[in-house]
Amino acid sequence: MAKDIVIPSDLWEEDEECVITSWLVDDGASVEEGALIAEIMTAKVQYEIHAPASGTVTITEEADAVVAKGAVIGSVA
Amino acid sequence: MTKTNERKLTIARAMAEATAQEMRIDPSVFVMGEDIGPLGGVYGNTRGLIDEFGAERIRDTPISETAFIGAAVGAAMDGMRPVVELMFVDFFGVCFDAIYNLMAKNIYFSGGNVKVPMVLMTSTGGGYSDGGQHSQCVYGTFAHLPGMKVVAPSNAYDAKGLMTAAMRDDSPVVYMYHKGLQGMGWLGTEAGATVHVPEESYTVEIGKAKVVRQGRDVTIVSLGMGVHNALKAAKTLEGQGVSAEVVDLVSLVPLDRETIRASVAKTGRLIVVDEDYMSYGVSGEIIASVTEHDISVLKTAPKRVAFPDVPIPFARVMEQHCLPNPDKIVAAWDGMKAA
Repeated sequence: MAKDIVIPSDLWEEDEECVITSWLVDDGASVEEGALIAEIMTAKVQYEIHAPASGTVTITEEADAVVAKGAVIGSVA
Repeated sequence: MTKTNERKLTIARAMAEATAQEMRIDPSVFVMGEDIGPLGGVYGNTRGLIDEFGAERIRDTPISETAFIGAAVGAAMDGMRPVVELMFVDFFGVCFDAIYNLMAKNIYFSGGNVKVPMVLMTSTGGGYSDGGQHSQCVYGTFAHLPGMKVVAPSNAYDAKGLMTAAMRDDSPVVYMYHKGLQGMGWLGTEAGATVHVPEESYTVEIGKAKVVRQGRDVTIVSLGMGVHNALKAAKTLEGQGVSAEVVDLVSLVPLDRETIRASVAKTGRLIVVDEDYMSYGVSGEIIASVTEHDISVLKTAPKRVAFPDVPIPFARVMEQHCLPNPDKIVAAWDGMKAA
């Protein structure tokens, strides 16, 4: 069962969008749950995105994409 | 296809990881600079260090480069291995006496009896409209003055290995990292700089250039951000049937002239790409290193793609007009071919 990689809604207070600054794994990489897999940034502050499960990563939003809180940027299956 | 054990890092994370690993095994290593503590550095390269090592070894300083870089020189001469950050290389004006008269010369002035094992890390480069006093590279300025090693990584693998090598070196090392390669979105992000980095500690040799792309028709030499522009230009040229070799200098001091000469001896043509100012700089030194050695290897006059000799404009269109880019490198080849 694939688990979505989601931009958390509690990292910053306002509703600003963020940019995916880097994916730290390639599409198709295998990862452990909790591994650092991407970095996002809003208002010059960077936040970490960790793998929600162990498995194979599918990237659906590439680096430089601008996304909202709650957006799905990929999945782990 | 499934890959295992993959772990890519930004240059910022690679620098922080190298520093943390060295601090765990060497109690003489400590870090000083502006906002390098709880903030983790404005470019992210000291993130997490204060949590592990505390404020005694990760020391936020007041805004006085004169004081804290001078203090680092003293600490280095007294047995410590300071890593000190000059937030923007553009700020060297207020602290250059400590850098080039003390840090760079005290090993020589003491007849080799005193070591100055310190790392001066500093950010370079523009492209994000930060104005003429926050966007310079001044690679040539530092590389020109003897007594300091100078490195400039283009990717996270080299960044980690160079950082470890710099901290272990008994000479002062100026570690120049390009803001656009750090993986910080607001500075522009070059995806090619974020690469696989081994978890264990390792070194990349200071003073050794790398051929990062093999080719037959022309050698493109660059450093830092310019390497990525060169690789993009090489890809465009490949579509035109031109085979470009790309040399990443990695270090400016010592300069690996052998690797440059060997590449140009093979291709017969040379383009140097440098985001620093054109005149009296890295690009001229690279060309001289080839021509004074053996001018007969050149089939045509070398070309330079560098920043014009003007203060860096704030206005986006004007700055982008001045900066080196892949199109300008391809145009340099076209000019070379026509000549």
